[in-house]
Amino acid sequence: MSDHAHSHGGSEGHEGHGEEHAHHGPEHYVRIWVILLVLLAISVLGPMLEIQVITLVTAFGIAVVKAFLVCKYFMHLDVQPKYVLYFLTVALAFMLLFFFAVAPDVMNHEGQNWTNVAAQEHIARALAEQGHGAAGEAGDFDAAGVFATTCGPCHGAGGAGDGAAAAALNPRPANFTDPAFWADSSRTHEHILTVIRDGGPAAGRSPLMAAFGAQFDEAQLEALARFVESLNPNAQ
Amino acid sequence: MMKPVATTRSAAGISTGMLAVWWLLASEIVIFGGLLASYIMHRLAHPEWAEYASHTNTWIGTLNTFVLLSSSLSAVLAHHAAEKGDGKKAAKYLLVTIGGALTFLVVKSIEWSIEIHHGYTITANGFWAFYYVAAGIHASHVIVGAIVMGWVAWYANQNRELQRVEMVGVYWHFVDIVWIFLFPLLYIAK
Repeated sequence: MSDHAHSHGGSEGHEGHGEEHAHHGPEHYVRIWVILLVLLAISVLGPMLEIQVITLVTAFGIAVVKAFLVCKYFMHLDVQPKYVLYFLTVALAFMLLFFFAVAPDVMNHEGQNWTNVAAQEHIARALAEQGHGAAGEAGDFDAAGVFATTCGPCHGAGGAGDGAAAAALNPRPANFTDPAFWADSSRTHEHILTVIRDGGPAAGRSPLMAAFGAQFDEAQLEALARFVESLNPNAQ
Repeated sequence: MMKPVATTRSAAGISTGMLAVWWLLASEIVIFGGLLASYIMHRLAHPEWAEYASHTNTWIGTLNTFVLLSSSLSAVLAHHAAEKGDGKKAAKYLLVTIGGALTFLVVKSIEWSIEIHHGYTITANGFWAFYYVAAGIHASHVIVGAIVMGWVAWYANQNRELQRVEMVGVYWHFVDIVWIFLFPLLYIAK
């Protein structure tokens, strides 16, 4: 078998009875396998450049090519009756339909008349736990540290509403570690952000809560809001 | 040996068994397609998943991709031998494929043990839930494939029911293709 392939050299064995061997011979399958392994190597090495476009092309573009090679040369999908390809394609098309029908609801966390508060808070909390601040844009901003020094005098360094000045204030500063505080469904991420940026009165809360929008940029405010949300005991 | 009519009729242009395998795969496309589509939606909408995904082991994933691609080669070589009427050779190649399936499962269980030991369990978060469910359903297909291949190889070794070698091979290539997509989704795109 291998002698046959060598004797034909680069002609891929198309002469004589070569047609059958060219498309179904063991050497041909081994060649496809080698191509698949080369593609595998590229799909692993490509993303190491850490360039997003290259990652997407090498990871998913190559997956499509590999799947095509397996379908055509290993499964012999191309020599099956056409209707086999049709019903497999229909099954695949239904999956695309499923994706595009459901994705708008799953992937957006905010619509014209609705907000997926649970998803938004989950993401904010998870990113805060990962130390990303505001999705990484706040750079080296230390939300916990700033909270302790700027918010701590009233809210307490741990956010329990027990800062040095707390006893003298009426209404008392909010205790972010109290589940009852978070039980109020109006306390969304946007709400917390507004109170920090524009002060209590701007959101119908305590007039004693000052506005901090002038001291911090948007990413830092975002990080502070997420830190406050991370104090919610139900979020742990 | 006389065969019942149903296994030899050819109104469909292919054997009933082969037709059944293609129908099976169409339903598998819906199972894995739905799962992967859901995963992609959540992966794109949850920026925090990038950090979770960074803990999967690319090299173990690569090793298993290599194992499955190679087992697909031996499966198609088994099919080739069966077409030539060489049942013993087909059975031998099927055993090599089963060896690939077992290697895949051993590597997978080592990988999962390490991950569970590090606290990345199925309940850790959405990403790990998808990771275990997707790879778990895939692994169950590997197990079923290995068992069916053992059965087909048993017959093939006696030069019986050689048409089944292609059928189980086509199923096996599909299992390979599913992994081809799972691999970048779970191990590469970080």
